[in-house]
Amino acid sequence: MKELRQIAAKLLTDGAVKVVIGWEEGPRGARAAFVTRPEDAERLIFDARCVQNLATYLSPRRRHVVGLGKAAVVAKPCDAKAIAGLIRESQVKREDVVILGVRCGGVVREPTMPASLTAETVADRCGICETREPTLYDHLIGEPQPEPPRVTRREEQIAALMQKTPQERFAFWSQQLERCIRCHACREVCPMCFCEQCVADKTRPVWIESSSHPRANFAWQMTRVMHQAGRCVDCGECERACPVGIPLNLLTRYTAQSVEKRFGHKPSDDPSIAAPIGTFRSDDSQEFIR
Amino acid sequence: MSTRILTKADLAGLVADLLSAGTRVVAPARVDNPQVAAYRPIASFDEARLDGPLPPRSPKEFFLPPTEVLLRWQKKKDGIELQEVATEHPKQVILGARPCDVAAVEILDKVMGWDYRDELWFGRREATTIVSLACRGVDKSCFCTAVGSGPDAQKGADILLVPSDGDAYLAQILTPKGQALVEAHAQRFGEASGAEAAKSFREAATRKVASNLPIEATKLSGWLADNYEHELWKRLAMRCHGCGACAAVCPTCHCFDIVDEPEGIDRGVRRRNWDTCQAGKFTVHASGHNPRGTQNERFRQRVLHKFSIYPKRFGELLCTGCGRCARACPAGMDLPEILGQIAKLAGAGVPTGGTK
Repeated sequence: MKELRQIAAKLLTDGAVKVVIGWEEGPRGARAAFVTRPEDAERLIFDARCVQNLATYLSPRRRHVVGLGKAAVVAKPCDAKAIAGLIRESQVKREDVVILGVRCGGVVREPTMPASLTAETVADRCGICETREPTLYDHLIGEPQPEPPRVTRREEQIAALMQKTPQERFAFWSQQLERCIRCHACREVCPMCFCEQCVADKTRPVWIESSSHPRANFAWQMTRVMHQAGRCVDCGECERACPVGIPLNLLTRYTAQSVEKRFGHKPSDDPSIAAPIGTFRSDDSQEFIR
Repeated sequence: MSTRILTKADLAGLVADLLSAGTRVVAPARVDNPQVAAYRPIASFDEARLDGPLPPRSPKEFFLPPTEVLLRWQKKKDGIELQEVATEHPKQVILGARPCDVAAVEILDKVMGWDYRDELWFGRREATTIVSLACRGVDKSCFCTAVGSGPDAQKGADILLVPSDGDAYLAQILTPKGQALVEAHAQRFGEASGAEAAKSFREAATRKVASNLPIEATKLSGWLADNYEHELWKRLAMRCHGCGACAAVCPTCHCFDIVDEPEGIDRGVRRRNWDTCQAGKFTVHASGHNPRGTQNERFRQRVLHKFSIYPKRFGELLCTGCGRCARACPAGMDLPEILGQIAKLAGAGVPTGGTK
């Protein structure tokens, strides 16, 4: 933590960046901090409650953040994957961001929880995560971290769903999506949802109805998830943000599994590795596209 | 009005009576996740969790659904035929709702009956009897006492239940509608007793909540009106995603969008859907200009509407201090913390410097 604060303060003092985006202690646990003065670097923290993916704030549609000037951002390995995604897809230039990579031993499910990691408290995605440190960084901070508790509950839930008949799965998702109120919080928090004009907001013509009825709710989530195929970094923010508790990570995670199976692709923090959804190759394994 | 006693057994009986008479009963109830409760129609009293966790969403959807049909239209040879929807609604009782949720409904009556009387809103209001339950205070994000309300507030309720001795509630009958419910089920209500226990419950809850945010938010409107360009707003919402989860769970946020949807080549529906000032497209003009171009401006609007604009027009804050916005926010935006900061700037009450 001391190292993080020192580097942040120096970057601000030297004028290398105008803002350091990290985490601070808030009234309800760890939350994003936007530090613009060297003396405020003392506010920065990093522990297992630093759940949120801060790469979201680098997206150009965050005009109020972009307006602050060049940013340094604290990045867990999964956050670095999202930053790489933004660089890969020409949303951010590598030289325009200073990445303060942090070694990570996993995070808890909610930033309001105590920082202790157990099989109960660890976030589902960390339960299967094998990356303890990012490879995309300007500074790498912190001691080597132990592996988070191994939990596979989400993978088991997906496997169980896939054992069901399509009708049963449809019934499951109908019940879940019935609660959707189409607030689009899942989109707004997502680091990879950076479109200036989302297809769901188009009104002339309307592609996806804005009403929260089953037809539109299915259309919205299917569209969102398909657009994330091979791009989603599994930060879990969509599900965490959902005010009605829809298990959205089951969809994004299953899609990621499918992309891995079919294309051998896993999102990484190497911006030079393109995602299948944005790639054409003459030796594509899928015959129809060659 | 008068006070009666209602034991838990009699409350279960009352619910059974209501259900068998065809009245819909909405209460905080179990859902698939045991840590969570939700306001939903119940099939028996066993499903209700009156003393359970705060439902993450308020019960406003039972008056203003997330989506509802306003009219249907069909093209005919000689023009378009419009079909109105019914504004008569089946009877419902909302049972065990928190005082903060219930107060919101009465606050919203003002805007819903202002320049235009919203028949769908008032149709549901008239069909509904609200039996609220005094709250013991949920957590550090509760601030009902700071907005001039309290964990045992009566506003919006037809009957207020206060936990009393043992397994009984003291039932305060507050309106003719509440009186009618009691008279129709007189055998379920006993002579009032246990006033002391109810009083100490109320006092303990009020003390607990008041320590969270000891300010008077009713006194902020002047400062807010005078400080539209204050530095505070320029850095207030850096972490805000504009996701609108706060508005979705808020008992008083009521903005909606109206859309037409085809349902075939020659017919369709007009719907109204929840909307939020936190969404970027909320204020986009046809020209493409957006007067609230960034999230800081959009969050300022949220605060101003609740604590300055609505009070100026309707004499009431558009906030009941339930704290749901702070609990739902995936980015840690915290309205009680922000109100504390504004109170410090405005000099109203004694701010705690946040709710840590």
